[in-house]
Amino acid sequence: MRRIGQFLALARLTTLEAMRQPVCLLLATGAVLATALTPVLTLHNLGEAGRLARDSGLAFHLFFGLFLAGYASCVSLSRELRRGTAAAVLSKPVGRGLFFSAKFAGVAMLVMMYSVCTCIATLLAERCAERFLNTERILGYVTDWRTAVLLLTVPGLAFLVGGVFHYLKRGAFQSSAFVALILGLLLLLGFAGCFDQAGHWAPYHTHVQWRIVPASVLVTFALLMFSALALTLSTRLTLVPTMTLCVAIFCLGLMSDYWFGIHTEAFAGAHLLHNIIPNWQHFWAADFLANEGHIPARLLTMTTLYATAVTTTLLCIGAALFNKTEVR
Amino acid sequence: MTNKKAEPETIAQLTGVSKVFRDFWRRPKVTAVQDLTLSIRPGEVFGLLGPNGSGKSTTIKMLLGLLHPTSGNITVLGRNPTHTASKARIGYLPEESHLYQYLTAKETLDFYARLFAMESRTRQQRIEELLDMVGLSQSAQRPVGEFSKGMARRIGLAQALLNDPDLIVLDEPTSGLDPIGTRQVKDLILALSKRGKTVLLCSHLLADVEDVCDRIAILYGGRLQAEGNVQDLLQTPGDIRLTLPHQAAIHTEELTTLITKHTGIEPAVDHPALRLEEFFLHTIQKAGSDASKDPDDSNSRSVANYLSSPTDH
Repeated sequence: MRRIGQFLALARLTTLEAMRQPVCLLLATGAVLATALTPVLTLHNLGEAGRLARDSGLAFHLFFGLFLAGYASCVSLSRELRRGTAAAVLSKPVGRGLFFSAKFAGVAMLVMMYSVCTCIATLLAERCAERFLNTERILGYVTDWRTAVLLLTVPGLAFLVGGVFHYLKRGAFQSSAFVALILGLLLLLGFAGCFDQAGHWAPYHTHVQWRIVPASVLVTFALLMFSALALTLSTRLTLVPTMTLCVAIFCLGLMSDYWFGIHTEAFAGAHLLHNIIPNWQHFWAADFLANEGHIPARLLTMTTLYATAVTTTLLCIGAALFNKTEVR
Repeated sequence: MTNKKAEPETIAQLTGVSKVFRDFWRRPKVTAVQDLTLSIRPGEVFGLLGPNGSGKSTTIKMLLGLLHPTSGNITVLGRNPTHTASKARIGYLPEESHLYQYLTAKETLDFYARLFAMESRTRQQRIEELLDMVGLSQSAQRPVGEFSKGMARRIGLAQALLNDPDLIVLDEPTSGLDPIGTRQVKDLILALSKRGKTVLLCSHLLADVEDVCDRIAILYGGRLQAEGNVQDLLQTPGDIRLTLPHQAAIHTEELTTLITKHTGIEPAVDHPALRLEEFFLHTIQKAGSDASKDPDDSNSRSVANYLSSPTDH
């Protein structure tokens, strides 16, 4: 019980501290805005505005998420080691393994909150995109401008709520705005679901493509893996070298099939590298959505197992490294 | 008082401890501590002195299991310093007040108290008492990132005492504090010592150490230069001081003549002066209650109840 209490206290604090970093709020807001703007600004979509919005949303989810996961991981460990807060905590009856795993749990919580934001933004952006409808009420191309405008308004309102909360209660602006952003997007999802794309009252249909959610979950797994990698490197390196190495390993992992995968039979080293380097391609399921209409359950299961195995391995290495780290 | 049967003879023991910091390529960079052997006994106030870079903080961090000694052996409360069971009985005030800047003072103490798995009621009670003791009750809801250095020091001291520790490690505890706060910290150390707690004090301020420490060790260049009882170390062998009350001043000349006649040595005569700290505190006390109106200040706050009650060990 004591360890669970310590774990929860440390994980909660890590999430709170990361949420209060202005960079994290800006990245989450940037991802939501970029996703929201895609169906509004694309001019040449070749009749696939929905797919473009969906793919862009997932891409923004991954792109901004990589920076958020990497930055939050580095801040939560290497900066704490440098600033001395880690020393203050580790002078208490807290094991290093528990400290390290709680740090990951805290960052994972932040990543999941971010993923909820971007997933909802992608669902709504896809709904907003221009499409041909042939229903009892509508026949023709329709763009859901009302939802698009509301989606673009939510981040501004979230900032306003954060400001008001700070003014009235002296609460932290960043975390208040972050929570307001999530709540605002959830409310908008519920509100938009009451109307069809043309703005007619239709409360019994959600009008969003829920099949995007599993694709978004896979991207979240990729981000969690990236967090584990960044946290592991943070045990020994500072922010810039950690982020540089993370980006390098990410790029290698993206090209792993082409650089090492096709040479596995020719070179033993290629086989080894292909297996060791985390392969991020498994987590990009947008093509499955486009070609097959859904993500196969087997792919979902196997990718989940792969992400769990890689993340656990990385965390074990990180915990072993952290056990030997000198806390100055 | 401390249970002598359960306690080891020494609270902390360093035997032949050395610490070499290495660079990125694992080459030796700095030898911070060399062949250090020290023992800290239960219930004493032990002062660790030395100039900057002498290895004081490194020694403390090795005692807390934060740094690993390159060679030698360390035991704290009878265990390896990395053991969480021994850390549960230690309170540590770092040299710099390392705080989570976005947490309020109350949240900060609540967070650290949760690490000791305290019951909710005890936790709340101790937090209130400690905030009152360090004079931060009025600032309990302010983020510690907005605190002055002195206030950060006070909240750091409060977190070090949350668990009513048996061994209190204070690294420069009076740094950044005003003279009143400094006096309170010294009183607190003496109060803790009276309850049988062991205090390891690391300070540059020699007057502070002299006021409260039973024994001291002086480090220089990572090596132990002197160790022993404060009075023994400071006493000038053979010299005697004779202090007379004010009324006896008229007899000074007769006395000096008499002493010169008997010993053949002319004694030095001077007038003992107040120390600046004593004069300052006396002046402030006379100035009345103005300082107590400042929420950042902390006059005449007593030691937290749980820290002044008899220890159950």
